[in-house]
Amino acid sequence: MQQASYAELFCLSNFTFLTGASHPQELAERAMELGYAALAITDVCSVAGIPRAWAALKNTPTRLITGSCFEAQDAPPDACAPRFILLARTRKGYGQLCQLITSARRRASKGQYQLLCQDLDSHALDDCLCLWQTPPATEVRAEDALTCGRWLQQRFQSRFWIVATRTLESGEEQQLERIRWLAGQLHCPITAAGEVHMHIRGRQPLQDLLTALRHHTTVEQAGHRLFQNGERYLRPLPVLQRLYPRDWLQETLRIASQCSFEPGSLRYEYPPDLVPDGLTPAAYLEQLTRAGEKQRYPEGSPPAVQALIRKELALISELHYEHYFLTIHDIVLYARSRGILCQGRGSAANSAVCYCLGITEVNPARVQLLFERFISRDRNEPPDIDVDFEHERREEVIQYIYRRYGRERAALAATVIRYRPRSAIRDVGRALGFDPVQVEQLLEGIDWRDRDTDWRQQIMDKGLTRNPGTADQFFSLVNTLLGFPRHLSQHVGGFVISAGPLAELVPVENAAMAGRTVIQWDKEDLESLGLMKVDILALGMLTAIRKALALISEDRGQEFRIQDIPPEDPATYAMLQKGDSIGVFQVESRAQINMLPRLKPETWYDLVIEVAIVRPGPIQGDMVHPYLRRKHGLEPVDYPDDAIRSVLERTLGVPIFQEQVIRLAMVAAGFSAGEADQLRRAMAAWKAHGDLTPFRDKLISGMLERGHDAGFAERLYQQICGFGGYGFPESHAASFALLVYVSAWLKRHYPAAFFCALLNSQPMGFYSPSQLVQDARRHNVSVLPPDINHSQWQHTLEGPGRQLRLGLRLIQGLSARGAQQVCQCRPATGYRSATELRRLAGLSQRDMELLAGANALASVSGDRHQAYWQLLGHEQPAELFARETDDEPAEAACKLLPEPGEGQNILADYASQGLSLRRHPLALLREQGHLKHCLTAEQLHTAESGRPVQVAGLVTGRQRPGSAAGVTFVTLEDETGNVNVVVWLETARRQRKPLLTARLLQVKGVLEREGSITHVLAGKLSDLSHLIRSLPVSSRNFH
Amino acid sequence: MLWLYLHFPHLLLDHIRRAQPDTGPLAITDAGGQKVIQACPHARDLGIRPGMRLKTALGLAPELAIIRASDHQQERILEDQAFWLYRHAAHIVPVPPDGLLAEVGSLQRMYGSLDALWKVLEQALQERQLTAWPGTAHTPLAACLIARSGQGEFCSDKARSLHLLSQLPLTRAGLDERTCTRLQRLGLETLGQVFALPQAELARRLSRETLMRVQKILGTRADPQTPWQPPHRFRQQLDFAQDVERVQGLLFPLQRILSELEADLHWRQQDTDCLQLSLRHRHEQATRLRIRTSGPEHRAEAFLNLIRLVFERQPLKAPVISVHLSVQRFLDRQIPTGQDLLGQNGDPDEAWHTLVSRLQARLGDNALTQIVPQPDHRPELAWRALPVGHRHKAVPAVPGAHRPLWLLPEPQSLGETPRAWLSGPERIQAGWWDGQRVHRDYYIAQLHHGQLAWVFRDPGGDWFVHGWFG
Repeated sequence: MQQASYAELFCLSNFTFLTGASHPQELAERAMELGYAALAITDVCSVAGIPRAWAALKNTPTRLITGSCFEAQDAPPDACAPRFILLARTRKGYGQLCQLITSARRRASKGQYQLLCQDLDSHALDDCLCLWQTPPATEVRAEDALTCGRWLQQRFQSRFWIVATRTLESGEEQQLERIRWLAGQLHCPITAAGEVHMHIRGRQPLQDLLTALRHHTTVEQAGHRLFQNGERYLRPLPVLQRLYPRDWLQETLRIASQCSFEPGSLRYEYPPDLVPDGLTPAAYLEQLTRAGEKQRYPEGSPPAVQALIRKELALISELHYEHYFLTIHDIVLYARSRGILCQGRGSAANSAVCYCLGITEVNPARVQLLFERFISRDRNEPPDIDVDFEHERREEVIQYIYRRYGRERAALAATVIRYRPRSAIRDVGRALGFDPVQVEQLLEGIDWRDRDTDWRQQIMDKGLTRNPGTADQFFSLVNTLLGFPRHLSQHVGGFVISAGPLAELVPVENAAMAGRTVIQWDKEDLESLGLMKVDILALGMLTAIRKALALISEDRGQEFRIQDIPPEDPATYAMLQKGDSIGVFQVESRAQINMLPRLKPETWYDLVIEVAIVRPGPIQGDMVHPYLRRKHGLEPVDYPDDAIRSVLERTLGVPIFQEQVIRLAMVAAGFSAGEADQLRRAMAAWKAHGDLTPFRDKLISGMLERGHDAGFAERLYQQICGFGGYGFPESHAASFALLVYVSAWLKRHYPAAFFCALLNSQPMGFYSPSQLVQDARRHNVSVLPPDINHSQWQHTLEGPGRQLRLGLRLIQGLSARGAQQVCQCRPATGYRSATELRRLAGLSQRDMELLAGANALASVSGDRHQAYWQLLGHEQPAELFARETDDEPAEAACKLLPEPGEGQNILADYASQGLSLRRHPLALLREQGHLKHCLTAEQLHTAESGRPVQVAGLVTGRQRPGSAAGVTFVTLEDETGNVNVVVWLETARRQRKPLLTARLLQVKGVLEREGSITHVLAGKLSDLSHLIRSLPVSSRNFH
Repeated sequence: MLWLYLHFPHLLLDHIRRAQPDTGPLAITDAGGQKVIQACPHARDLGIRPGMRLKTALGLAPELAIIRASDHQQERILEDQAFWLYRHAAHIVPVPPDGLLAEVGSLQRMYGSLDALWKVLEQALQERQLTAWPGTAHTPLAACLIARSGQGEFCSDKARSLHLLSQLPLTRAGLDERTCTRLQRLGLETLGQVFALPQAELARRLSRETLMRVQKILGTRADPQTPWQPPHRFRQQLDFAQDVERVQGLLFPLQRILSELEADLHWRQQDTDCLQLSLRHRHEQATRLRIRTSGPEHRAEAFLNLIRLVFERQPLKAPVISVHLSVQRFLDRQIPTGQDLLGQNGDPDEAWHTLVSRLQARLGDNALTQIVPQPDHRPELAWRALPVGHRHKAVPAVPGAHRPLWLLPEPQSLGETPRAWLSGPERIQAGWWDGQRVHRDYYIAQLHHGQLAWVFRDPGGDWFVHGWFG
């Protein structure tokens, strides 16, 4: 006798957004616990929940069935619109299902779907099973229902069932009666199915809440839109046996036994396009690698590199990853051919093979890399290489990929946007009918970084509600909702490329951005199914570097490339050691600027460390100070044994990189590469919800076995915990450090070209154009204002002195077309008047006014007020026969207009360009005697440490980094530079007002200096913003 | 002509504050709840400014009380002010959202002098605990600009007001943003500098609208103002920054609006016999009260006593966030009332209303109710009794549901085992959100005496009868 069991064939997860109330893995685990033979995840027009359910069910007796449910938009003649579930029988059926979902999704806007009855005819669905959900007996006439059923049955023949669901709701008896009648009429079997929305009954409140949110109402107002009870859960087998006739339950097993498709059987089929006929992929990869090797090492490669290449090629070919490397090589080759700078990163990227293929510039001879991190024999997972491209030209690369593989074969991976505390609190509050203003107030009051008291406690302290019952309910709902998916968004650049149509591998849907499509799976889903993804990322610094190189080439009269930059230039390192790094890649943040003089980088590898060390992991793991002490010889470096020495030697015995932690687990505790990788994932997840305890025992016992003492073992474990998921991988730092060096070298030796290129690549980086221009001038770059007779759209270098001429792009609001015309139509001798400019360039009144407002007409028409006056009054098109000639006498100046004062000019510059080349406003205020006793940024450098000081400046930054508990860092800007102010929590609390609102801030405090790092520890803060108004002009937005 | 403009710089704030004196820092936000538009002095001390984002304001004062303004509400409050100003001046014009304009040139004679008029108005403002900035000038627009600058005076000297206008910065001149930016780009800062520009140039280089505006300010172009007529009703509202939990907290602010009503009735020379009072709560339905006097009445004290009596009988069901008082029925003081209800009517609708009115008069308002369905799965909450004639949204009943016609007011314990089960179970689980949680399995059962009962079992396994089928 067959053992009583059950297969749930109709189950929605929370990937049916705002409907399903359980995660796919929760459903999967519960089904397994209850002893179900199988569970089908059948989200609405989606298979987004499948990978997670699969991860939970693989290697268990409960099988996962892949399906999806639909409601057609239209109806067959004389029938109602069909609602049904499709289940995939085999891999072929799965492909058919994905195709159908893709068609329905692509037809509708983001997040929606539109299925038409004709789709069931135009798509092959012969390997899918159809379960029909009959319409409610109270709403649809029996004949219409029957016609609908007949219509569906014709299409699926013997693969057609009627679903019967016992929800115990009112009207159920009529419904069951109707189902029996329809089954009799159609001679088709009935199967039980639970229409499951949650894994346990306890999720009913959350399910009600989601329903209310979906209908944009509150739970209280939702009325009959809520389900009548919480019966749509995974029921225990005895309950099912009580509720359903035996044969209906048996039918579920019969259906399940037909569905043999397993998501794990999906194999990535690499696009074969790249391999020339007659060659195997392995041979072709080797051929390309060897050719590259000759270019990289013209005098022959060192033996170590040769060995590395052999080892890597063998591993790649053993795991069949040739296509992956070939694909990336092809994309990089395309970028090179178009002059687009790019660079790969990640440990697979920093391999000898990738160096030879030109994917990375990191010479394997210079750094020891953990190739195993991404490619491992233990795990059947694909390698991961990120390639950065110039941010302004990444789109060209993306378009190339679409062209090369077609939209049917290439699409972006999805990013699942999930509920976070803020959004969860907001939505739960909304559904429970709380006043949105109150909820906002609550959210504002929460200090998310305050780790000591969690937000729950903070809300309780604030008295969200007097009713503790409501509060409990609120929290438990918020807690459950946290991490629920809200919608699918597009990944920043992860492309999935396939051999056959992608839509047979995974459904493709529309992204919010026009012309973009995303697949229904995200990065982790792809990883868990072992599918390949290529990350095409955008990096602003590459744009800036390419532009700077072009300017230098122009200067030198011959091409100047990255390779032409001399390595390890002492002058460049000397500049970095001073913390002079505004504009330099990665090391321009305030924390980095402070670290540079302490770490004193002297070599490229120091930069690799610099990039990785200013991160929460090393800071919280307390690795910074030991490293610095050892680097400067203040502390001895020792290693317990040689194995550990080999891992930590290059960082002086202190683990700084993520790879080192992993590697330590391998050499000190005997973890295999695969186990170490699990540790890496656990570390990444640890902060969120993870648990490292399972690894603790293994780590510690492993270390004890290898003769380390218990103290050392415990310390290492603690370091791993402190590191959390916030370590930076060496393989990424290595690639980044190259760009740090290149950009620093450019700044040191070609500052004008460097800043010009940076300004032309905005927006990017940490600093505003105003700050960059000030820094440029401090580096003796002379900067000229925008001018209709000299400027281009871009910023340019001008004359033999290579002065930086600001471009018209800086003028806020000016149309690019107008600016282009100004440049194109400019006579060789320049424009002689505003009238001529208007006539020749055909500018709109708006553009003319913007140019005058920016004082860009200064060379042709007096001060900005007069220039503007002359422009006005031309709004109507000139009369047809009225002749406007250039020798028309210039209009008489209007005597009633005041001449602009210095302050007025400065503010007008800021208003139109966000910066001014005139004196800094602080210089004016100082001259007017408003800032007595205040030292300038420059004076601070020579002032004595520990003495009380006063400073004042425009507030250019307020930061509260998560790694510095309670401290606010304020950056003030004056005419000589930037002042760093440190505000302790208590000071901040007592002086919220000036701290949060001042645009011009005065600080009394104490000067502190450590080495060459100077900052002011704030005592009293005063808001001096009113002084900006005293620059004799009406106030306008400033900064 | 001489125009007076009263600018209420923080009307909503005053409105809230007079209903509920100091309750800590308070800010009014725009309808979207994003931006602060008014801040009380306490909040201003903490650095909160109009125009600030609410996020920032909350950063400055986490305990800030917040009221969200709606255009509708502001307009209504402004109209409330028009009511009393109308008693002093015949030609007034409300200028939403926060100004009142009055022609006062013709009133000087009546009040003796402009100063005397201002004293009267000042007192009226004081009684109402309102802040208003006055401005007088010979054109409506000029009076408005002067008032809004906060530097207005009460005087009829044309040269003086011209001087004040000339000093006004452009940003305060009520110009559209584009014009203002353009004038600033010319280096101009005050309205006086704009007056000085040749008018033809102004029209050519800026716009005709700008010239027209300048002319309207200066009075060289007509700027007709349509006089406001008071509607034939009285209404006032109190909004509270913090929930009022006790009747006492309502009576005090009610006193003021009842005095307002008395003054209004006095001015109309009319009485009333019915006040409608509606109390709004945060979550629950509003409490609507009809206060009937025994005869025509106009004294605030009498109304207050009646209201106090009503509250003695009927305590507050939930904290109150606002109170709305309106009077629509005005009775002339000479004519005795009470007989018009008995007039003959042929219209059946009218007859129905007469019947309802009579029954209500005899039995009290609450004695007559109608039953309407409510969308709720819980049987006891699936219907609601409403006062007759009360409008309600049509809600379909649950389709296909078996529900007894006779639902017991409360489920009764079932003492016997039914003879037969006819249908079920129907499971109802709902109400986790409002404390009236229900978890029941319903059945239709035949009891020993043959009755068809609607019975249910609760999670504890106990049986109850909840209704009877015919």
